[in-house]
Amino acid sequence: MKPVVLLIGADKGGVGKTTIARTVLDYLAANGTPARAFDTEFPRGTLKRFHPNLTEVVDITTAADQMKVLDTLTTSDVKVSVVDVRAGALLSTLKTFTEVGFFDLVRTGEFNFMLFHVVGPSVASLEEIGDITPYAGGHQYFVVKNFINETSFFDWHPEIYRSYLEKVKDAVQLNIPKLNEMACEQVDLAGVPLSTFIANKDTRGENGDYSLVLRGYVRTWLNQISGEYDRIRLVDQLARQAIAA
Amino acid sequence: MSEVSFAAIVASLHGRSGKTLLARALGDYFILSGQKPYLFDTDAVERGLQMLFPRDAIVIDLAIVRDQMLLFDTLAERSPQMRVVDVTHRSLTKFFELMRDTDFMSEARSRDVEPVIFYIPDRKIDSFQAGMILRDNFSDCPFVVVENAFLGEPKSNIRQDRAYRSLKAHQPRFVMPKLDNGVVDALEDCALSLSNFMRQPMSRDGEVPIPDGLSCDLRITLRAWVFKIFQEIHRVTAARHSWKGYGS
Repeated sequence: MKPVVLLIGADKGGVGKTTIARTVLDYLAANGTPARAFDTEFPRGTLKRFHPNLTEVVDITTAADQMKVLDTLTTSDVKVSVVDVRAGALLSTLKTFTEVGFFDLVRTGEFNFMLFHVVGPSVASLEEIGDITPYAGGHQYFVVKNFINETSFFDWHPEIYRSYLEKVKDAVQLNIPKLNEMACEQVDLAGVPLSTFIANKDTRGENGDYSLVLRGYVRTWLNQISGEYDRIRLVDQLARQAIAA
Repeated sequence: MSEVSFAAIVASLHGRSGKTLLARALGDYFILSGQKPYLFDTDAVERGLQMLFPRDAIVIDLAIVRDQMLLFDTLAERSPQMRVVDVTHRSLTKFFELMRDTDFMSEARSRDVEPVIFYIPDRKIDSFQAGMILRDNFSDCPFVVVENAFLGEPKSNIRQDRAYRSLKAHQPRFVMPKLDNGVVDALEDCALSLSNFMRQPMSRDGEVPIPDGLSCDLRITLRAWVFKIFQEIHRVTAARHSWKGYGS
């Protein structure tokens, strides 16, 4: 299978990038697709707390750690690399990937690339789409509307939203529903993968004693997200790239 | 294998169908049997069950997540206590959505708790339709159709409806004995504990004074009614191993 990088990022903070990354890792595991993850929230990491065995914390601004991510794409047994980009670093990371020639290699078919651009409910988030457009063109670009913090989105005119989206050819929209706040808090505190929380296990694999109700909310929420990933055929997209190669 | 405990879920589509009365009878039956049941009143407004069991019943507002957690986490708790939930008609949909979304049935069974739905249809067609939908959507949960004789039979056109006929033919069934007016009045006294009443001697001639102020005739009538409903509870619960879905 051809190595593929799935970049998950936003320039605005607090839009739920790491949560999205967690749902992707859970989904890929549930669908039998091995993945590794890079947490660019150097030095402590955020994603690593939930997926310690899959995740390495890197400083994506340094050449050494850029090499850790990109140089190992062909040598790693695991072909799917999920990169959780820290807040405010999406554009700079895309520029870096351009400068080191990564996108050239994508164009020549050596690697594949997908971008999950997580947007929040404000116009500022929308304006990011314009900034990302030069780097998103030609690649699989997903605008991820994450309702995790808000129940409404873009309360202003929807045509303005569409006009931003139309700037990126073939952009696909993903909707991530809101999760109940208490469930959100509890699942964060548990510090385990989402599926582990639902299964009522702790970090040692023992009984987690989590609330039945909150696990139910997380289960329902994750099922809805899996439905979205099914809709865009996420695993097929990754596999199809390999077939197309 | 440890003894399985019940979670009796008493529900109906509309109010004034006898839910709280049945929940009360179940609670008092378990108390008289030496249990200390968990009692939940989901009517945060009227609090009918809580007024009958002021020290024991917990009021739950299903609009509040913490209360949802208190209810379902306790209902599924591994313990020998019986549980009774009086599901207000106002929160019927919310309750069963939560039951579905939390995968409550398998969680409860993994802890030796058996949920059972006691559904009371009234005289309206939609109550039969709702009951049939509920039964079919929770086909892995034992479902007991409760006939409340006090409500009377529905009109003949309703008796032709498929949902009515389906619930009419359903087994197992629970028959709430007919109430006469005197008994209705006596039962409206929130201070009257059915379990304590049944423990009391019948006549005033003994050394123990009888505080409830009921006439001798009414005490006899009420005692007969309570005895019948307790007998019915015993009959239905003793036969639980034959229920469809029980222990699945």
